[in-house]
Amino acid sequence: MNIDPNRWYPIASSSDLPLRHVFHGQLWGRELAVWRADDGFVNVWENRYLHRGVRLSIGLNEGRELRCIYHGWRYANRTAGCTYIPAHPADAPARTICNNTYSSVEAHGLVWSALDPLDPFEAPLGLADAQSFALRPVPVNAAPAVVVAHARDYLFSPDGIDAQDAQVSLISDDGTCIEMTASRGDLAATLLLFVQPVDAGRSILRGVLTQNPDAPMAVLRHHSQAMSALRDRIETIAQQQAAPAPLEVTFAPVDEELAKMPARAGSGPKAELRVRVARKREVALDVAEFQLEALTGQLPTFQPGAHIDVHLPNGLTRQYSLINAPGETDRYTIAVKRDAHSRGGSNCLHDDVHEGDVLATSAARNNFPLRRDALKTILIAGGIGITPMLAMAQTLRVQHLPFELHCFAQSQDHLGFEHILTGFGTAMTPHLGLRPDDTRARLQQILRRRGEAEHAYICGPGPMLEAARAIAAQQGWPDTSVHFEYFKNANTIDDTSSFEIALARSAITLQVPAGRTILEVLHENGIDAPSSCEQGACGTCLATVIEGEPDHQDVYLSQSERERGDRILTCVSRAKSGRLVLDI
Amino acid sequence: MKLYDYELSGNCYKVRLMLTILGLEYEARLVDFYPGREHKSDAFIRLNPLGQLPILEDGNLILRDAQAILTYLAVRYDKSGSWYPVSEPQRLGEVAQWLAFSQEITSTAGAARLHDTLFYKLDVETARSRAHTLFRILDEHLWFAEAGNQNWICPGNTPTIADISCFPYVILSEEGGVSRQDYPAIRRWCDRLKRLPGFVGMPGVFPATPAPTGNQSR
Repeated sequence: MNIDPNRWYPIASSSDLPLRHVFHGQLWGRELAVWRADDGFVNVWENRYLHRGVRLSIGLNEGRELRCIYHGWRYANRTAGCTYIPAHPADAPARTICNNTYSSVEAHGLVWSALDPLDPFEAPLGLADAQSFALRPVPVNAAPAVVVAHARDYLFSPDGIDAQDAQVSLISDDGTCIEMTASRGDLAATLLLFVQPVDAGRSILRGVLTQNPDAPMAVLRHHSQAMSALRDRIETIAQQQAAPAPLEVTFAPVDEELAKMPARAGSGPKAELRVRVARKREVALDVAEFQLEALTGQLPTFQPGAHIDVHLPNGLTRQYSLINAPGETDRYTIAVKRDAHSRGGSNCLHDDVHEGDVLATSAARNNFPLRRDALKTILIAGGIGITPMLAMAQTLRVQHLPFELHCFAQSQDHLGFEHILTGFGTAMTPHLGLRPDDTRARLQQILRRRGEAEHAYICGPGPMLEAARAIAAQQGWPDTSVHFEYFKNANTIDDTSSFEIALARSAITLQVPAGRTILEVLHENGIDAPSSCEQGACGTCLATVIEGEPDHQDVYLSQSERERGDRILTCVSRAKSGRLVLDI
Repeated sequence: MKLYDYELSGNCYKVRLMLTILGLEYEARLVDFYPGREHKSDAFIRLNPLGQLPILEDGNLILRDAQAILTYLAVRYDKSGSWYPVSEPQRLGEVAQWLAFSQEITSTAGAARLHDTLFYKLDVETARSRAHTLFRILDEHLWFAEAGNQNWICPGNTPTIADISCFPYVILSEEGGVSRQDYPAIRRWCDRLKRLPGFVGMPGVFPATPAPTGNQSR
């Protein structure tokens, strides 16, 4: 039997995959870690963490993520992308950190996979439209071809009662799947017997009956015994021959993108994905939720706090936080508030984008990452600033990490999101209809004093964030423990300065005149620099300052980050010195 | 209670597991099993002429043999009476049967581990091959237990000392070169056992995630 990377084989029984378990499988020498997420999806991954090569099959299935037993890296359901690295709790893992995955289909009581399928899975003819009753699989220490050759002589009875007078006849044999029937008198049963090629010298017999038997336990025991007897016969024969050497498995070298510094992203807001609006519904007063599904393939990994750029039919580009819970990797979900002062973004989504429409978006990008090592996390949301908090709170809840979620809104109707918020129980406190002074007093209470290793995450309208920033500072919170996300930069940008930028890596020196931004000058000179909001709020265009004094005009950097002077948002900030040396 | 204990011993681990699951306080007297061979010293031979770990001292009682200690602890201290069901002759017989089976696992999978990790001289290929034979039997047994909605080695809704006694040298088998890849039902049973209240690990034994809800133990 030659290696057929295109062919689908059964590699596990459905019953092998209870929730919160990792099954250890193998196909053509390649070890597989197979795990069912709480949403039912069956992940088939190469059995080796990208980090240090530890087996995934000893990892922890946490329902939405798989956690490595060794250094605690988390990988998401479906995407296999890394969502959290405990050694770097404040950073979002690079998108390129992704385990190798294989195709996976669950059908007829079995899980099917192929190393490199050419065609989508199709049930073997004998199983299409049939009931299916999976038998106990039996591993055999013999080459797949040897097992197939002898499996043709498998004897069984239709009802599980051992009897010599059962007639067994071969219906078909395609070299991997043998279809046979057993009959005695009026009784008949059809069996599909698959030989899973585990390695050069190892196989697994996987049987499926095409009808549910009347006495299932008797039939299961009958086949387990008969297949074990067949296994013993085959192994005796196989032992007389030289054991074949195990298949040499070559691992794809680590992606070049991972091995070197990531390539710089192209310029401007990204639109690499095409998504369909699978569902649009109102989830709060004037707030529409959009569930976006990939047209093809898998949406890239996201972490709590991540946002996407959405390119709208009217030509505008807007950023929206994902509200997805961890493991909800079959869609991106955003929620958009209709803004009375909209420049056209929210109105366009509300009025002109409907279910079934196709939009261009960027992959998820995370400039607001959530630590998972805080002894307590305080989440504060003002109005539609609740969106990143929903993703964060759902993550903390499923990880059983202590948190408080404070939601400021005009009214219960404005708050909305009942379907998610009820799940938080007493961890969620609504603060409804407060005037600015009352809001300030509440914030003072919430941020009363900082306990050990507490972190606060705050998203909402500018004035509220400014108040929270001041209160937190007064109450002694270090600004490394208070994390903000602004909707927009309400600062009046002073772009009257002119200065020189020296790009250390590109070895180019450019002039930034008054009225132009650093980012614009970079783009005009053909230098790729990623950006998203282009108003100093999202953090995407962040660059490292090697020399010179930045003139910060953004709302992304914290006070201490500003004072360090080693980073700059190139879309709005400028230079106080005549020259800035940037690591670009 | 005092347990003569060695951190890397699977037989001592059986007793530690039972003690913590039953919530019992005990004092560990650490024995220099390797490389000091303290268990073969005169003082130790006076406690256990077989020169083996573990030994439990409880008042005037000095008890050797992990299975014997499990039996004693369960009957004496398990108020629920579930770990060693003295009033159910049939289950009790099955418990005894699987205790004997656990000794077989120790002398095969456990022996292979001694060979690989503490350099014991023995026929490791035979030990591994016999361990696989035992694992095939245990896997089939547990597969049919699951098919009958049973979680544990002996019939009934609760685990018994047979589960505790079989677990350590099963879960440590890979340290002796005995893979459990071909025994998915054993791997699931190991997860269930790790979820028991009071479960503790040891070097080489990793934790399991909690079951998604209280009543879904598998």
